[in-house]
Amino acid sequence: MSRDPRLTIAKRELAALKSEKTIVLALLIQLFVAGFSSFLVVGLVSMYDPSSVEGGSVGVAIVGEGGEDVADSLESVDGIDPTTFADAEEAQTRFRDGRFDALLVVTESEDGRLRIRASVPDSGVRSTLVVVRLREGLQQVERDRRASFDHRLDFEPIALPEASSGSPYVGFTYTVLVPLLCFLPVFISGSIAVDSVSEELERGTFELLRAAPVSLVDILDGKLLAAGSLAPLQAALWLGLLRFNGIPIEHVLPVVSLVAALTAAIVGLGIAIALLAPDRRQAQLVYSVGVLSVFVVASLLPEHPANTVAKLAIGNPTDATWTLLVGYLVVGALALIAVRGLVGRLSVEHLGGDR
Amino acid sequence: MGLRKLLRIARWEVATSTGTIDRKTIAVLLVAVLAAAAGAPAITSGAGQLDAGLYTVAVDDDHQFHDAIDARDSLRIVGSESRADIVVDDDRVRVTDATSGDAALSELRDAIRTYNTRNLRQEDDQTAAFPVFVDLEFVEQGGRTLGTGGDSGDGSGGGSDDGTDGGSGDGTTSDGSDSGGTTDGTGDTADGSGDSSDGGLGSGGSGNGQLPVPDVGVGGGSGAQSGTPGDISAPFPFAALVLAFLFVLPMNFVIQAYGSTIMDERRNRRGELLLVAPVTRTDVVGGKTLPYVGAIAAVTIAIAVLVGGGPLSVLAVLPIGMLFLGLTFVAAMFARSYKELTFLTVSISVFVTSFVFVPAIFTDVTPIALISPLTLVVIDLKGGAVDAGGVLFATAPSLLASTVLFGLGIGIYREEDMFTQLPVHRKALDALAAWIHRPRHVAAMTALFIPFVFVLELLAVAVLFALPLAVSLPAILVLVAVIEEVAKSLHVFAAFEHDRFERSMQTGLVLGLASGAGFFLAEKVTHAVQLVGLDQLEVGQAAFTPSSGVTPLLAVGLFLAPLVLHCVTAAIGAVGASRNARTYGTGLAIAILVHAGYNLGVILLVA
Repeated sequence: MSRDPRLTIAKRELAALKSEKTIVLALLIQLFVAGFSSFLVVGLVSMYDPSSVEGGSVGVAIVGEGGEDVADSLESVDGIDPTTFADAEEAQTRFRDGRFDALLVVTESEDGRLRIRASVPDSGVRSTLVVVRLREGLQQVERDRRASFDHRLDFEPIALPEASSGSPYVGFTYTVLVPLLCFLPVFISGSIAVDSVSEELERGTFELLRAAPVSLVDILDGKLLAAGSLAPLQAALWLGLLRFNGIPIEHVLPVVSLVAALTAAIVGLGIAIALLAPDRRQAQLVYSVGVLSVFVVASLLPEHPANTVAKLAIGNPTDATWTLLVGYLVVGALALIAVRGLVGRLSVEHLGGDR
Repeated sequence: MGLRKLLRIARWEVATSTGTIDRKTIAVLLVAVLAAAAGAPAITSGAGQLDAGLYTVAVDDDHQFHDAIDARDSLRIVGSESRADIVVDDDRVRVTDATSGDAALSELRDAIRTYNTRNLRQEDDQTAAFPVFVDLEFVEQGGRTLGTGGDSGDGSGGGSDDGTDGGSGDGTTSDGSDSGGTTDGTGDTADGSGDSSDGGLGSGGSGNGQLPVPDVGVGGGSGAQSGTPGDISAPFPFAALVLAFLFVLPMNFVIQAYGSTIMDERRNRRGELLLVAPVTRTDVVGGKTLPYVGAIAAVTIAIAVLVGGGPLSVLAVLPIGMLFLGLTFVAAMFARSYKELTFLTVSISVFVTSFVFVPAIFTDVTPIALISPLTLVVIDLKGGAVDAGGVLFATAPSLLASTVLFGLGIGIYREEDMFTQLPVHRKALDALAAWIHRPRHVAAMTALFIPFVFVLELLAVAVLFALPLAVSLPAILVLVAVIEEVAKSLHVFAAFEHDRFERSMQTGLVLGLASGAGFFLAEKVTHAVQLVGLDQLEVGQAAFTPSSGVTPLLAVGLFLAPLVLHCVTAAIGAVGASRNARTYGTGLAIAILVHAGYNLGVILLVA
């Protein structure tokens, strides 16, 4: 038989995944995660910054000394409709009746500070919109008033540049969604590798495979190949989908190769753990705690891997990004060599059925 | 089922699992955890941040923006304009990168704001630096007004005792319960709560106690707030959410071990020994599960002590743990291999985590957040209180659902199912059919599905209510129809597939009627929903039959109409199920259409 036995084993592994349809589940999980996290951000943004979604201006009733100044400043802010009242009682009543979204009671202290007591209706989504608008308005009030005090200040605040109308989701897409879609398959691939090896060990089927004319290294190579090829493929698929969806992803090849390198390292780690741990339970526990801690410890690097992926995808890689990418590739290769070395040194007895 | 037998199996489970854990594993785990603990601080600072150095800006060294940009982690200064997302010229900012330029610009604005505030804080004349001071309070509009102006205004005399400015909170709490049972659990409790800690943090941090620093404490912006205009924010319990997540995290590890131990019983026919022992399968499952419930309880209590959660937190987290365990048990009974189990466990983790976590984000925004037990934790961590109805509403569906899951799993905890290899969906049908022998069993099982229906529908509402009503309402109507029709007919289909009943039109009708009636009765029982004031939400009204503001005759009609509807649609589905899988699909589709049409009709009729 001229065919490489490693390929045969890898194909068999993948066929097992296919027949269980579990790979479909894996894609579904990611779809769910992606969909949910997107919903989350859309929901959060609309919930906590409703001005980005809804229109409509906020009616504000103002009473008290200095109220005129406040009203003047608020006039200049979009989405706020101020009305001053001389009579506090009247303003209260009309606010209570729901004809205004906010009531501001202004008092001026001796040192010139304005104290504003703002009442906002407690009505869930609407009140977040009111609060967000009100904050913008009051910041304008603050700026105007501060400007009139500028002789008392050493520091002159810098004026803000004009705001843009850009999508608020860009940052999220690149810093959370893309890294998530890249790293989740890596984690799952490693988990599959742990399962695959510990299942063979616990069922005692390694002995049978040993009887076949393949070496142990070949068998594990096959498993590595199967588990290791899944994650980069999935990552590539997701990046393609994102691109198709109008989200430009730059440096696709580096991102995918980063995923491939990490997969090699993590799958190697998984196989090593599964070979050394006494049973599947402990193997999975050590594996997931280990990967989690690797992910946390990675934040000690100059760039977290997620940050590296984000920078590559958005198209702003630094020298450190490229250095780290090379580093990951080296680590991935080293992991492969180390696992093969470990497998070579394991005795046949260790892999026997009864442990 | 004997308690002593159950306990003996539990002891045995503990002994065998701890017996196999060797010192090497513990050492490795310890090292991993310690390493993670050592690395954790970096996550919150500098390099660990996901957007560190993500956006590029071209700016001259002597430009007034330079220092502000330099201090911002997410912005990186580059030399050449061609590599920059935005270019800062003398007095204007140019966006050069179509993708990331706008995001970079908004970061730049944030950076300048932060820079201004930081410098102003160092001014000697703080009154001139921050000439406006805002006390923000939330009051109820319409009819009675709560925490009237004069009162709380007096309360907030000086800047530093803003913390005690919970006056508005108090007002809301007392009146909230008065105003006709709209308990509005989230709103009130949020109010009075975090503020005392805010004030404390604020005055502590800012030196002269005049200005609260922008608070990031547990109370992060809940209810009444005080500060400069930039400090006030829409209520968002960020820190409490992060802490609440701590409760959920360890469960993912527990269910891994739990799934393994259940799966172990099924591998190599090991579980046969226990099956032939003189114990019931409830004993076996209970005994094997008990240690893991104990583990979750212990971890939960430990975390609660650590982060300062009270008994309410523990009470709220346990149903989540039971839901995790119940789902994992069923998954381990279904899975054909470890690999499949892993996929199922990951799915469970993702699903349950989002189920409990997403609604909790909206704790301060809407009472609908209470569908998640985790919301209770968030409220508890912020020092609030929830009434018994709210607690029941948040925990009961999860608890009931996990009970039903364990019931389903125990139903197939027997030789012919444990040691055979079937696809997951076949096993699921097995599990459903195992409990059905007579038509009344169909009705009972439909009733038992109510918690799932409830949880799924509420989740759908929670997911969709952020969208505009024009989109969310039809989506909710269809989703509700899909969920309810599947719940009413799936087990009927399973029963027919297992030849529990004769495959005839007549049997189909009988089973459909039984299922519909069971659903109707159970749904009426769970109309405790309205206690929590969910019916105030328009989307909530779409999901749960409206019954207010209509004439008596119509009300009776509306009361009985669901019975007719449920029976008719369930019968359609059941008749479809009585033939084969394809006719079941068709029947289900028709039933869903009828149901959705009915829902739409009711909305139009009432509106």
